[in-house]
Amino acid sequence: MAAIFDPAANLYVKVAILIGVALTLIAVLFWWAWPRTDYARHVRTVVAQPVPFSHQHHVAGLGLDCRFCHSSVEVSANAGLPPTTTCMTCHSQIWTNAALLAPVRRSLAKDEPLTWRRVTDLPDYVYFNHSIHIAKGVGCASCHGEIASMPLTYKAQPLTMEFCLDCHRDPGPGLRPARAIYDTEWHRTGSTPSAAALLAHYHVPDRNLTDCSLCHR
Amino acid sequence: MSGPGGRIWRRLEAAAADPGFVSRAAREFPALSSLPEEPLDRRQALKLMAAAIVWGGVTGCDSNFGQDLIPAVRVPPNIVPALPNFYATAHVLDGFANGVVVKHSMGRPLQVEGNVRHPSSLGATDAFAQALPLDFYDPDREAEIDRRGRPADWPTLEGALARERDRLASGHGAGLRILTGSVTSPTLLARLDALLDQYPEARWVRWDPISRGAVAAGAAMAYGRPLDTVARLENTDVLLAIDGDLLCTAPGRLRYARDLAGRRNPSRSAAMSRIYALESTPTLLGSVADHRFIAAPAEIERIVAALAAGIAGPEAAGSRPPGSGGSGSRAGAAGLPAWVGPVLADLRSARDRALVHAGAMQPPPIHALAHAMNEALGGRGTTFDLIEPVARLSRESADTLPALVADMHAGKVDTLLMIDSNPVLTAPGVMGFRAGLERVRFSLALAERRDETAQASGWFVPLAHQWECWSDARGHDGTATILQPQSLPLYGGVSAPEMLQRLSSAAHIPGDEIVRATWLHPPNAAAMGSGWLAALAEGVVQGSARPAVHDRLRETPRAPAADLGGAPVAADTLSVLFRADPALWDGRFANNPWLQELPRPLTKLVWDNPLLIAPRLAERMRLENGDCVRLAVGTASVIAPVWILPGQSPSCITALLGSGRGAAGAVGDAAGVDYYPLTGIAGPVSVQKVAGRVELASTVRHHGLLAPPDEVLRHGTLRDFHADPRFAADRSAAPELYRTVPPGPAKWAMSIDLNACIGCNACVLACQAENNVPVVGKREVLREREMHWIRVDRYFEGDADAPTSFFQPVLCMHCEQAPCENVCPVGATVHDSEGLNVMVYNRCVGTRFCSNNCPYKVRRFNFFAYAHEQKRPPESWNPDVTVRARGVMEKCSYCIQRIAAARIDADRESRPVGEVVTACQAACPTRAITFGNLADGASEVAARKQSPLTFAMLPAQNTHPRTTYEALVRNPNPALEGGS
Repeated sequence: MAAIFDPAANLYVKVAILIGVALTLIAVLFWWAWPRTDYARHVRTVVAQPVPFSHQHHVAGLGLDCRFCHSSVEVSANAGLPPTTTCMTCHSQIWTNAALLAPVRRSLAKDEPLTWRRVTDLPDYVYFNHSIHIAKGVGCASCHGEIASMPLTYKAQPLTMEFCLDCHRDPGPGLRPARAIYDTEWHRTGSTPSAAALLAHYHVPDRNLTDCSLCHR
Repeated sequence: MSGPGGRIWRRLEAAAADPGFVSRAAREFPALSSLPEEPLDRRQALKLMAAAIVWGGVTGCDSNFGQDLIPAVRVPPNIVPALPNFYATAHVLDGFANGVVVKHSMGRPLQVEGNVRHPSSLGATDAFAQALPLDFYDPDREAEIDRRGRPADWPTLEGALARERDRLASGHGAGLRILTGSVTSPTLLARLDALLDQYPEARWVRWDPISRGAVAAGAAMAYGRPLDTVARLENTDVLLAIDGDLLCTAPGRLRYARDLAGRRNPSRSAAMSRIYALESTPTLLGSVADHRFIAAPAEIERIVAALAAGIAGPEAAGSRPPGSGGSGSRAGAAGLPAWVGPVLADLRSARDRALVHAGAMQPPPIHALAHAMNEALGGRGTTFDLIEPVARLSRESADTLPALVADMHAGKVDTLLMIDSNPVLTAPGVMGFRAGLERVRFSLALAERRDETAQASGWFVPLAHQWECWSDARGHDGTATILQPQSLPLYGGVSAPEMLQRLSSAAHIPGDEIVRATWLHPPNAAAMGSGWLAALAEGVVQGSARPAVHDRLRETPRAPAADLGGAPVAADTLSVLFRADPALWDGRFANNPWLQELPRPLTKLVWDNPLLIAPRLAERMRLENGDCVRLAVGTASVIAPVWILPGQSPSCITALLGSGRGAAGAVGDAAGVDYYPLTGIAGPVSVQKVAGRVELASTVRHHGLLAPPDEVLRHGTLRDFHADPRFAADRSAAPELYRTVPPGPAKWAMSIDLNACIGCNACVLACQAENNVPVVGKREVLREREMHWIRVDRYFEGDADAPTSFFQPVLCMHCEQAPCENVCPVGATVHDSEGLNVMVYNRCVGTRFCSNNCPYKVRRFNFFAYAHEQKRPPESWNPDVTVRARGVMEKCSYCIQRIAAARIDADRESRPVGEVVTACQAACPTRAITFGNLADGASEVAARKQSPLTFAMLPAQNTHPRTTYEALVRNPNPALEGGS
């Protein structure tokens, strides 16, 4: 009786099994790894804005303080976006005819707000508070990256729950001296006070900073 | 008829011994078993499961990246992103103001808290004020003017008004009638006065469906002119309330509740007061009284006359002295209840520390007798004060609604302006207001919604909401508040003073100018001592309270008892009592879903207003809850379901007004039955069973606790307390298998004083507003799916005809050993280090194991996307609290957003966390709820937990709840004990 399968059949089966296993692996890998990529998390992704505002120029170049525009960062949960009038404080005097600034001038003239596009965001079930982080010595750069070197603003950190918890589990190393909070170029050096000293300086409370209720309500 | 088995019971059919009840209560979701079996085969189930997984994956991946961020062009003053602003104003209901402070978020008015500076509020609010935000954002509020149902515009109306002005000027205002509710507003009164001076022939008519006219008439009988009584319950040792409304509808009810509760906890107040309530239908005051005497409406008059004779002498009670001097035995001999003697003795021995109060629904002679008794007892200046009437009466006593309707039918009314009044709905049906309205040439309804009157009027003009216009109003003691707008009008609309102004001249005077003119010119300019801005900021005009007057009782009283009517009414004659709905008032809140779904204090009914009948009457007529009857008064009749209310007199039926409206809006239409057609008729009352049943949604049978009564609610008498102050405490600690104590620096805890709780529901609505608790609708409530995080359980004890009642607010106990946490497979409910049992919504997968394991039944599950189905503008939700999605469990969080805000404020300044006030606590008129940090020994909650009355609910469960109660102590008269 002739053989039912020819000699190549074994090969086909093996290849098929291998392909199946590989596909499964790839699928699982993709399902697991894809959300962890910077691409999926929009990290380092620049979004088109109505005005190509450069933090690099305004902060590193001109030396504006973060709080000049984000004025409620020390008192409120929300750092605040600058109203059109803040832009026009200077731009009614300088670059008054720049084509790039036309939307800003139009906003003031027509009393229509500018529509920026969100770069950094947390899910709605996270109630992040800027003011307490500033008060306890967390610098802007810890989450927002080196803003002063960004010509166009992008999200610098993944801002996942893991990212938050890394700090909340051991906040000391993430703290910086008060003068460096708004300095996005600052880096820990040998003369920086120790983590324990900073924790004591800022009276970081002894409560459990990983309680769910701290951020989720 | 006696109550069901067990000492304490919640509903008539609930008995611990009834196996049906036990098996039902043992299930966490009893309604699930009764849902219709939907045919679902295996294949279909798998399909749905797959779809759910796919959807779960898809919705889990959404991101706000790239969404719009829109800053202001110019920053409005005082607005800091994400920080609240607070502005004082007042909530005005039937003319009377309760001071409130409105919380704004980014310029949007969101929530209401009481104004501590306002004497009618002292920081508390009622359910009506708490429900204001939903009223304000109601999409059914009208934006357009219309004329005979067709859209019109301002210029057309201006033209029509100009013609009216010309015509009125030539006829000195003949044919002009202005209809309003009660008015205390100095500005509106000034405008009315100016208008009536300008048009001397015009008439101003007042009409309140929930009338307080008997109060004024009674005072006029006693003192010769109308006066308002301000009770001073903090000084009252013995209170006799005749159909008392001090806690539910009287102006100043929040203040009265606070003062009353201040004398009710023997562990804090040295001398506990004693309350007697005499009533035909249960009231809140009767429910917290030490003795509740139930009498037929007709009997009340006789009993009060006897009491008055006993206190003020036979001449005060008129021609029918029931026993000279009114000694107990003599009074009893005269066919009076046996309790009259001991109560008389108690009142007389308390002398000037006693107070007799009559509710506004009692006829004027009863009020006159109450005044006579109070004067005889000598409590003037101690237990009560008399002040000039706060709400102005019409200039002519003849200017009443019946006279107006008669004039309308006679064609004498040419121009009719109806301001925030809905007479087509609320006027007694026999008057024929609607028919009369058709004979009025120019009728204009100024109302928030296109209600029944607006639809029947020639013109309809949208009325600005209280939060959208300048106004003013007085509280129960005359204290004035200037109402500042909280927002620009959402839907256009004008205020009442502005409308009157337009009727008197063509000049446009803005609302703030009109109010300013009242207050910055004589006679009020002197009262504005502290200045306009200070008055706005504080929410009260300092020193504007009415001083006490010194009128004396008439020398020869007009024998009130002679006015009480002729022959005694036969005991079995049925009567109907028309009362304001505890949640809808006269119907004006019918389109507010929060109030519609607010379990009424005594019946726990929602979305409905069946006739309330006595158990004995139900037994006699073989009626059960929900059975329909035809209730006829004279020639009018309605068909309505019934609800059996223990404590109701079998001689009367209570009908709650305000439901069954046809033009309330999308929410309120067709909920309940309209009883207004039966009002104002003096004919005989008959009730007859008819075919048909209505399924009534009452939460009274929901969330039943399977435990002996003593495990749930503990109470005793003052004598028990004196014998052993710790009579309610647990004697022995149960053995512990393991015990963990949250280690955090703060220990959040709550203490609820059952002596103070009056069951008013302010906490329920405050919680709903604060925590974005959705409304589910009647059908879902019938399935036991209401979402309130805090419920006020109502228990009865004893005889179903005359039970004692108890209120117990129940919310998440935040157990230190929480049974719910151990069973959650995904860690969605966990303990935090400060003792909070927290819900992590984004982890919850909806197994409902936690709810099943909760002995207190305080967890609520989103069976559907209730929050998203609610037609409510997104900007009206509290931005500090997650709006929960479908399939997520939720429960009381101890207002964790408020704790977080306080914690952040404290940490920012590196100080210990300070006081946190939960929404329910802030609203509570009686301070029954205290919340705070147990670790702070100086906190009020730490002090209250030391009270000897403290007990934990279901102690045998070993849950170590952070919420504890103070046992209820009643102060019965020893002479009446056992016999009341």
